[in-house]
Formats: sequence, structure tokens, C-alpha cells
Amino acid sequence: MAATADGNKSYFDPLVLARLSNLYLKARWVVEGMMSGIHRSRSKGFSVEFEEHREYSPGDEIRRIDWKALGKFDRYFIKETEDETNLRATLILDGSASMDYGSNGVTKFEYASILTASLAYLILKQQDAAGVATFSDKIDAFVPPRAKRGYVFEILRALEAHRPAGETNAGKILQEIAGKMHRRGLVILVSDLLDDTENVLNGLRLFRFSGHDVIVFHVMDTAEIDLPFDGNILFEDLELPDLRVTADPQTIREVYRGVVNEFIDHVRKECHAAMIDYQLVSTATPLDRALVSYLGWRA
Amino acid sequence: MSLFFLNPLYLFGLMAASLPVIIHLLNRRRIRRIRFPAVKFILLSQKRISRTKRLRHWLLLALRTAAIVVLVLLLARPIFQTGAGLFASGGPSSVALVLDNSLSMTWSRDGEGFKQAKDAAARLFASLGAGDRAALIPTNTGSKDPIRLKREKDVLLRDLEGVKIADGSADFGAALARAYDVLREPASGKEIWVVTDAALTDWDRFSLAALKQYDPAVPVKVIKVATKETPPNAAIREIRLRGQDVNVGLPTEIQAVITNFGATEIKDLVVQLRVDDQPKEQKLVALAPRGETEANFQFVLARPGSHTAAVTLKKDRLAGSTSEYFTLQAEDKIKVLVVDGDPQTSLVSSETFFLTRALNPEGGGASPFVPTVVIPEGFATAPLDSYQAVVLCNVPAIPDSALPRLKEFVRRGGGLLVFVGDRVQAEDYNRKLYDTSPSILPARLKDKRLVSASALEKIERIDLKHPALAAFSDPILADSLKSTRVAGYYRIDAAGAAPVVALGNGDALAVEKKFGTGRVVLVATAADRDWSDLPVKTAYLPLVQSLVSYLQGGKKGALETGVAVGEAKKFYLPAAYVGKNLKIVRPDQREREVALAADGDKAAAAFAENDFAGIYRVSAPLAPDAPAALAPVYPVNPPFLESRLDAISDAELAARLRPARATIVPVEEIAKGGSRSDLALPLLLVLILTLVSEGWLAQRFYG
Repeated sequence: MAATADGNKSYFDPLVLARLSNLYLKARWVVEGMMSGIHRSRSKGFSVEFEEHREYSPGDEIRRIDWKALGKFDRYFIKETEDETNLRATLILDGSASMDYGSNGVTKFEYASILTASLAYLILKQQDAAGVATFSDKIDAFVPPRAKRGYVFEILRALEAHRPAGETNAGKILQEIAGKMHRRGLVILVSDLLDDTENVLNGLRLFRFSGHDVIVFHVMDTAEIDLPFDGNILFEDLELPDLRVTADPQTIREVYRGVVNEFIDHVRKECHAAMIDYQLVSTATPLDRALVSYLGWRA
Repeated sequence: MSLFFLNPLYLFGLMAASLPVIIHLLNRRRIRRIRFPAVKFILLSQKRISRTKRLRHWLLLALRTAAIVVLVLLLARPIFQTGAGLFASGGPSSVALVLDNSLSMTWSRDGEGFKQAKDAAARLFASLGAGDRAALIPTNTGSKDPIRLKREKDVLLRDLEGVKIADGSADFGAALARAYDVLREPASGKEIWVVTDAALTDWDRFSLAALKQYDPAVPVKVIKVATKETPPNAAIREIRLRGQDVNVGLPTEIQAVITNFGATEIKDLVVQLRVDDQPKEQKLVALAPRGETEANFQFVLARPGSHTAAVTLKKDRLAGSTSEYFTLQAEDKIKVLVVDGDPQTSLVSSETFFLTRALNPEGGGASPFVPTVVIPEGFATAPLDSYQAVVLCNVPAIPDSALPRLKEFVRRGGGLLVFVGDRVQAEDYNRKLYDTSPSILPARLKDKRLVSASALEKIERIDLKHPALAAFSDPILADSLKSTRVAGYYRIDAAGAAPVVALGNGDALAVEKKFGTGRVVLVATAADRDWSDLPVKTAYLPLVQSLVSYLQGGKKGALETGVAVGEAKKFYLPAAYVGKNLKIVRPDQREREVALAADGDKAAAAFAENDFAGIYRVSAPLAPDAPAALAPVYPVNPPFLESRLDAISDAELAARLRPARATIVPVEEIAKGGSRSDLALPLLLVLILTLVSEGWLAQRFYG
């Protein structure tokens, strides 16, 4: 790991990660970087047992608290052994054309890919089963969850093979994927959710009805949130080229932000109602924070 | 009520007011294309943009545009005025007020024009604010005192009260130059006000651009006191002498040329002549529209010397200079001593019969010449100082006793005319009059030549440039003289001098010479019919009279119309007067003195304070050795065209004041009063308010 000059921050900087060509390296870099921050002693053979972390809850033994993790994340984590976990995680990556947008050097898809790969790497590293599905208006790739060693490369191959294109049809896709999953587990959706919101939520609710736990990583570009442009601009939709509009961002910015916030709030609120873990991440957000969200859920 | 700008050039900056709109339009045209995933949110946002929001956008654009407009207007210094814009409450002003007090103001508005002009000026002065200053500059003033801006209203009003109408034309060039000079010092709110009747004569010769120094940034306001309905308008263009002489005891004829400047006929115009303050004669004339007529007068002067006179026009409501002053210098009759060298018992046969008839044709007192005939013996004792000229006619020899007196007579300015004849002893003449040094006679008498009747000589050449023969420019007289046939004459040797009259064979018939201050003319033939038929020719009388007049100094009397008001009168005296002073009494009875300075071989002086029309009296100190040929009076008249009441048009007046910004207002506008306000402070407040509003709204809308 070559991230020493500016500390661990560079492990998670999306811009730095985007420059790495190998998705495995990216995922490993993120996860190892994060894990080394949590308990660096593990790599020195302190314990041969696999360890995972979960968030501290009342009743846990004080001695099992990982104090270094506390120093890094300002949260209490408990070290657990392998036999304490048994998870099948399916990572669903939105690969539609709308994900092929990035205003700060990293597209949403690149960010989402790294995030997905990192999650898969982490899950597999924790001896859990991980699989992945990519989709746009159809399921482009589906790698079912497995916990075997080296499975991560199959997942990463599926991710690397995908190029963002096509119109999102998340509602239908989620139903299809739900049909493929026979055992309950964890479903992680990484998407910009730019589809018919109710269809997406209905798809997510379907996972919940099937007994799955669901985490949604809502990936947004900062420009989508803030609309920082000046001058008169002809906006063309990435998925629907015929959808275009001329607007002065300065004039509509305030209202636009309101609309976006309403959308986010609505999704967040519906997810909460359906007991779906919702996490909004912008492409400027360091990836470890997203992973921490996962760890928080896992705890 | 009007709005004007002190710095109008800044108004070009108003074009900058379009900048926000142009920028807005350019921005609209310069559309960037961006591929964006969340277009649906933008669409939704646009739908939610309320009408109020759009209005806010336009409000900001309007505020920005307004800020630029207000800033530009502020820099251009707008002044709002009601009425003609008196300079009250308009901020500190520095005003030079030029008041036209030329003669034409006398007749503007039926005689009320000058009063209205002064009233207008008084109103302007009275409206002076605490920080205002003003200067009063009359167009016609004899004063050379420096003029300066004053704050004291009472002083300005007192100065104004003292301004009277002058008899001369208005020199707006000089007045405006003084105004710019007064305003040369740093001051704010500079303006020039001109109160005038806008007489075409005065303004026609003015051009601001021709001034050496002027400031086009100083606005000029003209208050016009022009005559609305032109009354009968006439003036005397010229007084001239009819006939040649002004002699005592002889009829003097003068002619007054009268011009009608108006477009209506003037009937029953009385033209009166006064000489030495006494009415002499009056005529009744009619003047066609824009026409001219003459009035002729004849009178007799009883004494020699200077006489004052005036021709006056009399008619109700007549506008224009009514009097034209002139002087007459009357000469006494010319006394001529005629010496008859061949007296006969029959007058007709005498040598001088034709000559005396030529000098005094009627034999009475109607001729300017008074010939006295004497025989040579009488010539020897005659008192020559009593005569202006001596004519020798066929006198055999010059009496020895008379010779010194004759020489002295000519040397001191007397005239000598010599006719020869069969009795003349050429040797005596040559010895006494030619061979002396200096010689009196213009030529040596050589031999007597008598020709036969079949070979008579003719007069061929006449020197028309000679002052004594100027009358022979008339072809009738010249032909008459050339028709003379000469049977006998003396060949003369003029030693190269050009003959005044010569025969066809080239022999000189008359030659002239200056001797001392006098002159001598030698005619190489007889004065009677013995040697030629000249005495019976038409040309004889004018020839004799012209020669005698010329020889006695050419003093014929004169009519002088003097100088125009404001012009300088020049005097020339003998050099002995250098360093002495001339005393001049003006028509207002004020005395002035002017020093005589050397000017070549003379003493010269120029008197410039001819400010009034009328008769000026001049006297010089006594200098016995050099008698001053100085007329004791001279006339000064208003400029003829100053009587013309035609007014210049507003457009032409404005053109003559270019490149200054000229405003022309009728005097009634001043009478109405008014006020003037500098809008700088209100505009500054509006600008601040606009900028604050824009900033606050922009922050609120988009911040």
C-alpha cells in the first residue's frame, strides 16, 4: 500500500481510486486501508481466526471493544469471530446511462463500481457469501452469491465488463432479481435511483417482503445536488436524448435544490418506512464512509 | 420649464445603459450544451419557478440598467429650470452678463427695448444666490477698467443703472472676449448671458469661432429684445457736396442721401438742414420701401472758416439715427492780381480781357475769383500779400522793384501764372527769373515762333494726371482744348521737365515748377487772341480757373462728415507741434487732451474717445512759426447701418455663437421669472437607493 504521504485519506479518495485500472486493486485498497485503520495488529498474526466488526451495543463485554476503531471512527466496534456470521449478500449495481455522469473527474458509475467491488471484497473477506448483478433496462450480468475463496474475481469481472448504457428500469429489474434469490440474505442496491421512484421503491419493498435485508446506496454527483452551472444551458438527458431543456441555473437553482431534496427525503422516508437502510453518497464522499455504513448495518 | 445638462457629452454614456440587456441577450444566445442525468428535476424546477420569480429577474435587470442611467445622468449634471432659468438655487454660478447698449437699442420695442433689457438684467442680478457671482459687461463702454466677478448685488445693480445707450455699434467680439476673460478664473457653473436686440448689423460681423480665446463649454444664453413690429426705419446714408467749392458768398450746394430700411413706404418725411445751429432749409421727401432718395440744399456762407451743420429727419415714430452731422470749411474768394503788359484803350483789345472774364465771367460777386488788373507800373508797387495769385500777361520786363517781392510771394506759397506775348523780352525774363538761383521760371524762353495761318500748330498732349488739369478728363473739355490753333509761341527749354501741355510738334506750351511753398506755371503763348484762338474756346475758362486755383494752393473749401462713433480721429500737424497736446471738447462738454507725437516729418495724434454723435471742438496751442492747418471742429456720426433694425434670426444667431451651446429666449421669459435646480443631489440619492436595492434583492433572490 502506497498510501503513506497523506495518510489513509488517499485510500478512499474516489479520484485517486479512479486512476487505478484494476478494480480488484481498488477494492482491496479500500478495504485493506479501512481495516488497517480499524485494527492494524491483525496483519501481524495476532489471531488466526477471522475477525469481523460490529457496532457496540449494551450488554457487550467492554474488553471486546476495539479501541483503535474507536479512535478512527469515533464509534464503538466489537471484534467477533467467524462463527458468528452467516450472510448471503447480493450487490445490485445500476449500470444505466444516467450513471455515466461525473462532474468532478469520477462518474457515478465508476464510484458505484468501486463501492460495489469494495463491498464484495469486504463481504467475502469476512467469509460471507457475495454476488453481484448489473442492470440497465435489463439484467446485464448476474453472479449469484458464493463464499468461496477467489470468488471476488468473478464478481469483479462482471463489474469490469459493464459499460453504462440504456434506460433505467429498476422497478422491473429488482423484481426479476428477487425471483432469482431463493435464500434470504442481504440486498445492496447501488444506484442513482433516477427511475420512476415508486417502481424502485416497490422493487425494494419486494425484497423486504421476501425477508431480505436491504441497503440502498443512493449515488449522486455533487452537480446533481447543487446544480453549480452558470449561464444559459441546454440540458440533455443522458438516457433520453429527446428530453432536453434550456434553463438558467442561477434562476432555478434554489427551486432545483428543493426538488432534489424533496426527492431524497421522499426516498429516505419510504425506505425508512419499509425498514430499508438508505445511504446517500455523493461521488465526492470518501468510500470508507460508505463501507462504514455497511459495517454499521452489519453490526 | 426645461432640462439641460452642464456636461452634455457625458450623455453618450447612456449607451452603456443597454449593457445589462445586451449581456442578457448575449448570454441567451451563448447556450452551452450539457448532458445531464437529472433533467427531469430541472423540468420540474422550471415548472415551479413562479411568475414572481421571473418578475424578480426582470426587476433586477431594470435596477441595473437604471443604476447606469442614473450614474450617466449624474455625470452629465442635469439642471432643471422653470421659466428662463434664473440662476437661483442652482448651486454656485459665475455669470458674465453682456448688455447690448448700442444705438439700435434706442428704437427696439418702440423705445422700450433698452429699459426691458435692463429690467431683465436687474432680475438676473437680483436672483443671485449666496454663492453666485456675476459681472456686467456693456457692449459699448469707453472705460478700460478691468471687469471682475462680484458677489455684491447692490453694486451690480448700481453699475447696471449707470449704463446708458451709446451712439455706436455693438462690438460683440470685444464684449464676449471680455466675458471669457472674466470667466477665465476657476469657477463652477460658468455662463454667459447676452441681452441684445439681435440687430443684424451688429451680429452679422460676429463669429465666436473667430475669437482668439473662448471656452465652448461655457453655455451662452441670449435674451432677445427684438422689435416685433418694425416702425418706419430710415437714416441718412451720406451727405455730399454738389459742385466743387465751399466759398464765402457763393452758393454752397449739398445733397443728403436718405435710405429707407423698412418694407413700407415713408411719406412726408421732413428733412431739415441746420448750419451753425440755425435752420437753413427743409424739404419734404417720400421714401419707397427699401429705397433711397436725395434731398438737395443750397445756402450761402457769410464768413470763411469752419461751420457746423446737420441734416435731421423728422417724423413721428421714426426709428433710426435722425441726425447726420458734418462741417464745412469755407474759403474766402481768391484775389488775383492780373498784370496787363499790353493795355489798350479798348477793353476787348487789352491783353487781359479774356482772362479776367474767365476768372469772373459775370463781372459781379458770383465768382470765387476776384481779379484786379494793373499795368506793369502798378505791379511794381502792388501789395502782393493781399493776393493769392499773380498773373503776368505779356509783361515786357519784370520791374526790378517788384522782383524781390515776387520771389518772396511765391516762396511763401503764392501762385504765379505767366503768359508770354509779343512784348515779352525773353532775355529779361531769363535773366531775372530763370538764371537766378534758384530759378523761379520753370523754363528758359528761347526764340519766338510765329507760324503762318496755313501751318497753325495744334495742342496735342494734355497731362491729365496733373492736378490742375484734372477737369480735362471730361472729353468735351479735352476736345475743346485740343481744337485750339496756335499761331505764335515761345519755344522754351524746360531742362527735361515734362510739359503740362504740348503742341503737336512736341514743343511745350505749358510747364510747371514748385518754388518755395508756392508754384509757378509758364504758358508759352499769349493770354489773348493775338497768338491763338484759345481764349474763345470752351476750355479757356476752366483752364484759367483750374490753373489759378491750383497755383493759390488748391484751397477750395470742403465738407467733412468726420468719423463714426467709436472710431479714432487722426490729426496731422507740422513737426513743431510734437510734444504738445491737442484739447478736444466732446459734445457732452467733457474736455480731453491728446498728445502729438512724431510721425515722419509731422506731428500726429489720434483721439479714440469719440463715444457720442455730434460736433467735437479741437484747439491746438499756438506755434507761430508753423501755423496749424487744423480744422477747429469735426463731426462724429453713428454708424449708418446701426440704424437698421432688421434682427438676425435665432438659427443664424445660434450659428454665430457656435461652437458654444447657445440658448435664445425672448425677454418676456425673464419677466416671468423662474427657478433652476441642480439635480445632482437627488440623482445621487436615487443612485445609492438603486444600488442598495439591487444588492439587497440580488442577495435575497440568488444569495
